[in-house]
Amino acid sequence: MTAGALAPRVAAAVYPRRRRRIKASSIATLVFLTMCCLFVAVPLYVIIVTSFKEMSQIVEGDIFSLPRTWTIEPWYKAWNTLCTGQYCDGIKTGFFNSIKILLPSIFFSIAISAVTGYALALWNVRWAGTFLFILFMCAFVPFQIIMIPLILLVSATGLYGSFWAVALVHAVLAMPLLTLIFRNFYKDIPQELMNAALMDSGSFWRVFFEIILPMSGNIMVVVLILVITSVWNDYLVGLTFAGFSSQPMTLILANALITSRGEVIYNVDMAAALLTAIPPLVVYFGLGRFFVQGITAGAIKG
Amino acid sequence: MAVRWSRVAPQLALSPAVAITVVAFFGAILWTIYMSFTRSRRLPDYGIDWSEWSRQYDRLFNDSAWTTALSNLVILAAGSALAIVFGFVLAALVNREKRGEGVFRTIFLYPLAVSLIVTGLVWRWMFNPGLGIENFFHQLGWTDFKFNWIAQADTAMYGIILASIWQSTGFFMALMLSGLKSINTEIWSAARLDGVSIWRLYAEIIIPMMKFTFLTCAILLSLGVVKAYDIVVAMTNGGPGQSTWTPAYYAINAYSIRNNIGFASAAAVIMLLITLVIFLPLVLLTAWQLRRRKRAAVA
Repeated sequence: MTAGALAPRVAAAVYPRRRRRIKASSIATLVFLTMCCLFVAVPLYVIIVTSFKEMSQIVEGDIFSLPRTWTIEPWYKAWNTLCTGQYCDGIKTGFFNSIKILLPSIFFSIAISAVTGYALALWNVRWAGTFLFILFMCAFVPFQIIMIPLILLVSATGLYGSFWAVALVHAVLAMPLLTLIFRNFYKDIPQELMNAALMDSGSFWRVFFEIILPMSGNIMVVVLILVITSVWNDYLVGLTFAGFSSQPMTLILANALITSRGEVIYNVDMAAALLTAIPPLVVYFGLGRFFVQGITAGAIKG
Repeated sequence: MAVRWSRVAPQLALSPAVAITVVAFFGAILWTIYMSFTRSRRLPDYGIDWSEWSRQYDRLFNDSAWTTALSNLVILAAGSALAIVFGFVLAALVNREKRGEGVFRTIFLYPLAVSLIVTGLVWRWMFNPGLGIENFFHQLGWTDFKFNWIAQADTAMYGIILASIWQSTGFFMALMLSGLKSINTEIWSAARLDGVSIWRLYAEIIIPMMKFTFLTCAILLSLGVVKAYDIVVAMTNGGPGQSTWTPAYYAINAYSIRNNIGFASAAAVIMLLITLVIFLPLVLLTAWQLRRRKRAAVA
C-alpha cells in the first residue's frame, strides 16, 4: 500500500504540471495500479495456463509456469466427458441447459419489467410511489425467505424441475430491480413527448410499442447484460428448482468438481470452469461500458 | 371512452407485477414466517401450538452450527469491508491519474462477470497445499510459507474473505469512481490554489462529501454477505467440519439436507431480520435524499 499512498503526496508537491511529460508520481501511480491489476488477473492466468497443461506437468507444482506442451485435450474432455456422479456427458449438457433457461428468463423478465416500469413512470397511477417503494424493498429480500413457498407453488403447477420453472423464478426474482431500472430510465422522457404521443394514438400499448420501445435501446442493452450475467452465473435457483435433466452449467460444474470422488484431473476441471465463465466474460469484454452502467444502475438507483 | 380506456390499460398492465409482488414476495414471506412457528418437518403442517411457538427458534439458537454461522457472518462482513477501502484507494488513484482509466476499470471489474462458483473453485485450486501457491513458494525456497488456509477450521473463513475481496473490489471501485466523478471539479482546483495538502483534501473534504457513497457501499456489502452461499459451497462446502457455515448456507442445508421446513423457515426469518436491520439506514437515506432533492428543486 505504501507506493500508492505516497504517490498522491508527490503529485501535489510538483504541481502545476507541465505538459507532455510524465511525472514520477504518475509513474508510481501507474506502477502501483498495474501491480493491483496483476493481482486481480492472476487467478484468470492460472486457470488458463492450467487448462492447457498436461497432468504430468501439473503434479510437479509451480502453478504459474507456462505449459511445456500446449494441449487442448483437457478442453475437449471437459466439454465431452467430464463426470458428474455416474454420468460422464461433459459440461456441454449444462451449457445447453443454461441456454434453455436463459432465453425464456430474458424474455419474461424484460417483458414484465419494461411494461411495469413504463406504466409506473409515464401513466398516472395513484399508488405508483408506494408500489415503487415496495419493489425497492423486494429487491433486497434474501432468497431463502421466499424459497420454500415458491418451491411448493411451482410444484403445484407441475412445472417443478423443468427449464420453465427455473426461468420463471429468475424472472420473478429479477422483476423488482429491473422494474426500478426501467422506471428510472422512462421517467426522464419529457412530458411533452408523451402528450403528443397520447394525442396521436392515445392507447397505452400503442404508445409503448411505437414510441417508447424504439427509444429504449440503451437501457435494453444494460438490462440484457444484467440478466445474462446473473442468470448464467446463478447457482442457488438452479440448485433449488432445476430437475436432474435441467441443471444449469454452474450446477454441473460444482457437482463435478466439488462432490466428485477419486482422482482429480485438474486440467480438465480448470477447462470446465473456464468454459462456464466464458459466456459472461465475452459479454463483459464485448460490452464493458454498458456492464458498468448496469451494475451501478442496479446498485445505486435500485 | 378513450379517457376511460387510458385509465384501465395501465392498471391492467401493472397487474402481473402486482400479482408477483403480492404472491411471490408478500405471501411467501408471510408463509415462511408462519411456518417458522409450526412443527412442520418434511411437509408443511399448518397447526400452531402457541404454548411452544418459539420451538424452532429455541432449537436454532441452541445449535452450535447456527452460532458459528452468525459469527462467520460478522467475520466475513468485517473482512470483506477491506474491499471498500481498496475500492476507494484504487478509485482515487485511477481518478487522479486519468491515463488508462478504461483499461484499469476493465481489469478490476472482470471478476464481477464470473460466477461465484467459478471464483470459488479457482481460489480453491490456488489454495491447494500440494500444487497451489504454497507449493510455489516452497519451491522458491520459502519453506515456512503457509497458504492452505481453507483446509484448517480456524483459517478457512480468511480464505473465503480473500476470494470475496478479490471478487468485489472492482465493484466498489466502480461505485466510488462514479461518486468521485460527481464531485464538483472546482473543488479540486480550489484546493490546489489554496495549497491544501492531498491528505487533508481527501480526509476533510472528499471523504466527508462521499459519505453517502460509502454508506451505500457498506449496505450493499452487508446485504451481499448475508446472501453469501455460492462462494462457500465452491470453496469449502461448509467445511472443514461446520467451520465456514453462513446463515444462508445453514437455511438451505436445513431445508435440503435435514428436510425440515419449520426449522429452515426459522433460519430464513432470522436472515430477513438481519437484512431489515441493515436495510433500515438505506431506506432512511433514500427518503432523506429525496427530500433534499425536492428542496433543491424548489429553490
